[in-house]
Amino acid sequence: MSPDLAIVLTAGLVATACGLLGPFLVLRRVALMGDAVSHAVLPGIVATWLVLETRAPLPVIVGAAIFAILCVLGIEWLTSTGLVRSDAAIGLVFPALFSLGVLGIQRFAANVHIDLDATIYGEIAFTPFRVVDVLGTEVPRAIVIVGAVALANLGLVAALWKELKVTSFDPEFARTIRIPPRLLSRLVLVAVAITAVTAFESVGAILVVTMLIVPAATAYLLTDRLVVMVVATVGLGWLAAGTGYAGALAWDASVAGAMGLVAAACFVLALVVSPRYGLLARSLRRRRRQRELARELAALEG
Amino acid sequence: MGWLIDLLPLSYPDAVVVCGAVALGVAAGVLGALAVVRQRSLVGDALAHSALPGIAIAFLVTGVKDATGLLAGAAIAGLIGAVVMVAIEHTSRIRPDAAIGVVLSSFFSLGIVLLTAIGHRDNANQAGLESYLFGQAAGLLERDVEVMTLVALVAIGIVALAFRPLKATLFDPSFSGATGLPVRLLEVASTALLVVAVVIGIRAVGAILMVAMLVVPTAAARQLTSRLSVMLVLAGLVGAVVGVAGALLAGAAEVPTGPVIVLVGAAVVLVAVLAAPGRGVLWRARRLARARRRLLVEGVLLDLETALHAGPPPTPRELADLAGRPARLVARALRELDRAGQLVREGDRVRLTEPGAAAAHSLLDQRRLWAVWLEHGWQLRLVDAREPDPRDLRGSLGDEAVARLEALAVAAR
Repeated sequence: MSPDLAIVLTAGLVATACGLLGPFLVLRRVALMGDAVSHAVLPGIVATWLVLETRAPLPVIVGAAIFAILCVLGIEWLTSTGLVRSDAAIGLVFPALFSLGVLGIQRFAANVHIDLDATIYGEIAFTPFRVVDVLGTEVPRAIVIVGAVALANLGLVAALWKELKVTSFDPEFARTIRIPPRLLSRLVLVAVAITAVTAFESVGAILVVTMLIVPAATAYLLTDRLVVMVVATVGLGWLAAGTGYAGALAWDASVAGAMGLVAAACFVLALVVSPRYGLLARSLRRRRRQRELARELAALEG
Repeated sequence: MGWLIDLLPLSYPDAVVVCGAVALGVAAGVLGALAVVRQRSLVGDALAHSALPGIAIAFLVTGVKDATGLLAGAAIAGLIGAVVMVAIEHTSRIRPDAAIGVVLSSFFSLGIVLLTAIGHRDNANQAGLESYLFGQAAGLLERDVEVMTLVALVAIGIVALAFRPLKATLFDPSFSGATGLPVRLLEVASTALLVVAVVIGIRAVGAILMVAMLVVPTAAARQLTSRLSVMLVLAGLVGAVVGVAGALLAGAAEVPTGPVIVLVGAAVVLVAVLAAPGRGVLWRARRLARARRRLLVEGVLLDLETALHAGPPPTPRELADLAGRPARLVARALRELDRAGQLVREGDRVRLTEPGAAAAHSLLDQRRLWAVWLEHGWQLRLVDAREPDPRDLRGSLGDEAVARLEALAVAAR
């Protein structure tokens, strides 16, 4: 597999894994969950070092995932009390966990080099060089890991489609037909936590955070149908991955950064030209209404 | 500022940290409240991330790592990020959380791309540009404290002078726009102050502390009051107290200040959420438990009254089977009735005392009256719209209304 193909494929799989969950985060107004998780994993890495004295990928991922899940469930609990809104809950939980991690490093591991960049945040440009052997062929490890996560997310979303849909739009109605909204929302959040942690290790934090939010927000501007939104989110993610990589090669720039910029450009484009919710469409509609009104007034007077 | 720092009975570095923590806490508390109320709690996070391209551009323009230039770049980029965020919210169906997320990801991506571009220019001077903003807290300098104090004072001034329009803008932007209030101006002024506070804050104490300090004071203060004016004052106070407590604790334990302040703040919010009078999780749990127990005791009382009508005094076992209640709960209710003197035990059988029977009858009467109200209340033309209390219909509607209600019930029968 050529390095270019490996990188685009990895980014596309990240876009798929994140794009399947992102729409639900945007609809549930917790778009920043990915960013929260990216900070909350630090104590997990420190704890893994303290308990197992290792910085090997697998134990670190498990330790990080435990704290990622703690983080999302803590946010979910705080929100469910009804005393704190979800955005404030996010802003309370992840700084606390991150601070715990910083103190842990200071106290127990000051002489060991532990930080997020070195231990868990991978760099997408290096994915072609870290390979594993699958059925006799060498495949980049990131493709295997992120591919498995994307497949698991696809299974989750397909199996619980109707439940996820009803709890995202109308949790009260869901409760009356015996679909527990809190259980579903916990499931989505745990899936986000696991997806984020495994993807961080392959491609770094900012690409995952971007892929969870920006394509989903773009798709939200384009459609009112959930199934279209999810498909469009994944598609936009792939578009950002492919075009972003081409751009990164052309400008000789950071791969993750270029992909993020392409995703952002798509968002701006949708903001302006979306057929129903875009700025252009809305100003045209307003213009037309004003003209109609003027015509009616003229007819009344004349 | 110097005189205040000298006045405190602390060593110079400690005094600077304590003064800085107070100023930061008050500024972040008051400004954060305005963001949290509008569900933009994480605006600090977005501003911290969007400072990166500003720093990169400032470096590209000036070519040196000069603190003032980089901070100015960060502030300008933060302001642009904030304006873009508000514009996305105003012009589309995107909600605050997603708008913040989009700004955060796009600006940070741009920052990374710019940093790689700087790296390729083979400029040895650029090393560590990123950690200039996101590195460990550099510690507060006296100048930071002065600027932060100024920000806090201006924030308090704006909020005090423009309290009423601000309140209207926070809770109903379209109404305040329609009444001609300068909605945009207020929003821009408070956002600009927030940007200044965040940019100084992330340089001095770290991005994560700034994110937390914007949310913690309001999240705690909101549990204690439902009035915006009280909440703003409380948020400022909580911010100052959390800042000082964290700074002193960190000084005593000789660990970094920022994380300790965050953890103290998180603990304060947790306590507030659990135990806020009349609102906290524990209070609600206690209220629920009391209501459940009262319903149980009343139910068992009526069961016993029914059983005594039908035959000989029942055993607790028979009483439990009668209504299908768990025997354990029935035993608990009987103990409570016993304590209230409404019950006598004859061997293993129970019967009601005189007061017990009276209590059962009044309860039955109360429930009957409520049923009548639900059925015929609409025919009762009351002079005002009173919401009656199910447990005291007579008290809340008055004797005359209840008499008419009874007449309606008789007529219907």
